Amino acid sequence: MTARIKSQITLWRVIVAIIFVTGLYATYVRFFEGFRASTNLSDQMPWGLWVGLGTLCGIGLSAAGFGISAAVYLLGMERYRPILRAAILISFLGYCTVMVGYLYEIGLPWRFWHPIVMWNSRSVLFDVCVCIMTYFTVLTFEFAPAVIEKLPWTGLREKILRYHHRILIGMVLAGVLLSSMHQSFLGGLYLIAEGKVHPLWYSPYMHAIFYMSAIPAGLALTVMAVYLSMRSLNVRVDFSILADCGRMIEMLLIVFVFFRVLDLVGNHALHYAFQLTPEAGYFWLEVAMFMVFPIALLSLERVRTNPEGLYWTCALVVAGFIVNRLNVSINALQTAMGTHYVPKWTELASSVLVIAAGVMAFRYAVIYLDILPKAKSTPPTRWIANSGLAAQA
Amino acid sequence: MPKQKAMLIDIKKCIGCGTCETACKQLHGFNTELEPTLSDTAFTVIESRGDKFVRKVCMHCNDPACASACPVGAIKKTALGPVVYDADKCIGCRYCMLACPYQVPRYQWSELAPFVKKCDLCSERVKAGNQPACTEACPVQASIFGDRDELIADAWNRIRSDSSYVPRIYGVQEAGGGSVLFVSDVEFEKLGFKPVPTGNQPLPTLTAAAMGDSPKVVIMGGTILSALYWITQRRREVALAEAEEKAAVNRIKGERS
Repeated sequence: MTARIKSQITLWRVIVAIIFVTGLYATYVRFFEGFRASTNLSDQMPWGLWVGLGTLCGIGLSAAGFGISAAVYLLGMERYRPILRAAILISFLGYCTVMVGYLYEIGLPWRFWHPIVMWNSRSVLFDVCVCIMTYFTVLTFEFAPAVIEKLPWTGLREKILRYHHRILIGMVLAGVLLSSMHQSFLGGLYLIAEGKVHPLWYSPYMHAIFYMSAIPAGLALTVMAVYLSMRSLNVRVDFSILADCGRMIEMLLIVFVFFRVLDLVGNHALHYAFQLTPEAGYFWLEVAMFMVFPIALLSLERVRTNPEGLYWTCALVVAGFIVNRLNVSINALQTAMGTHYVPKWTELASSVLVIAAGVMAFRYAVIYLDILPKAKSTPPTRWIANSGLAAQA
Repeated sequence: MPKQKAMLIDIKKCIGCGTCETACKQLHGFNTELEPTLSDTAFTVIESRGDKFVRKVCMHCNDPACASACPVGAIKKTALGPVVYDADKCIGCRYCMLACPYQVPRYQWSELAPFVKKCDLCSERVKAGNQPACTEACPVQASIFGDRDELIADAWNRIRSDSSYVPRIYGVQEAGGGSVLFVSDVEFEKLGFKPVPTGNQPLPTLTAAAMGDSPKVVIMGGTILSALYWITQRRREVALAEAEEKAAVNRIKGERS
């Protein structure tokens, strides 16, 4: 018996357990002891890791949902249909994590509904809130068939799916526009902080730069998720689709780099990159991880067509994207705000908890719903069968 | 329309006694121990710069960045001048703190139900026709309160009649101007007044351009996407029709042979 239990204790399960225990404790500290105990935020750094990682990266990395649904539904690129649902699911879960994170971020979480009824149309943050809420409705709608088709009542099911299909294109169109708006407005949040955001990142076109960087990063996360599903969840997707995604990421990154450099030159900010400041260091880290290495690696046929190589390159893109967003939201502000901010462990632990919950939800959705094509159709009879708890029972 | 009120702070006159700070703290029922910087219990402080004393306080901008940033409209510029905060609306997002070019709003980090804290120019007292606690308490009239127009005229008079003053009233035009004005006998830049990034433009103009573009982008994007969708659908239909035609021709050919 003990041997059987021991065999259930794998490295990943231990890690997941640690994430949940520390994350739940951090959550307790946040909600029952307040910001002072749970964060290193201050009057000089009012937004920290929760906004930088939770919101900016959470929304940005969820960009594949609208990207691939636009490609498949509106541009007729049927080739990407096998990964469409996975992309939508990632976006759906990404937005879920952002909305949970929102409750951590705001000081009065029980007033989360205030932006719905109290409007300030001049506020970029208000626009972001409204776009996220409406787009989440669209995402729920786009994802709904995966659940509805599992309903046991045939008549009802077919009726719903028929009506769903009729308005689908309209919803996809609205979704693309809505997410384009708030993906860019997340960058627009920092427009008002001119003089605080370091010139290597501040630009009157920050919103456009945010938009252009989100799409390749979101695609890279989708490639990673599909690859991992293929490796461990019995999913079979034609690998050439992922290799083509790699090509697309490369092209989108080149477009992004072109405009980013153009923007820096246009703002006369390029010389800041060659000063001996911490900001210049963070900038070059971002250049290496999000621009130079991914583009170089993805341009190699050998890397792109090698599953392992593509996966790790996409991981680099995602990591580089996170560096970019943390640079804008934290590193670019520190000098002007006259402070040095390092997140408290509770901030990190609660963020990781929410992300881990999203990843687990993705795993179970891929196992129990028809998200990605399965290699053989032998669904587990009980949900418990895959969780490792069955052995203990 | 009531006349806009304002506060004029004369740095040449200020003796740094801290009476204004204490009066403010007493009015709000805070601990009267003086603090080095603005905090959630210090809405105004006096900072020494060389041998000068500079009062730090909310500038009560005419077009405040904080008010434009607030997603729920909890911060408003009133007609009388004060920029006021409605604690019943606030959700605690702290975007006002990021937006303010003077880094004025403070947060109650230690509270379980934290709110934003800043000077409201004693809005209630001003509404009742009185002056703020700080100007009332000032023993040397370094901070005075009155109609904004009259205070600006008064400030110019001081500058004209005394050549030691810097010929500039800080707060008339900076970031669109506001209801707190400074005159000084030392250059403002030397006293820690950072230049506002937008010069004399209110900060909300920084976002207005991007936000004003969005309807255009949405309409254009929507049209282009709809057009692309129509094209792909049409192509699909044509391809389908051609395939059917081909199949029909083949069938006829097959029947003939």
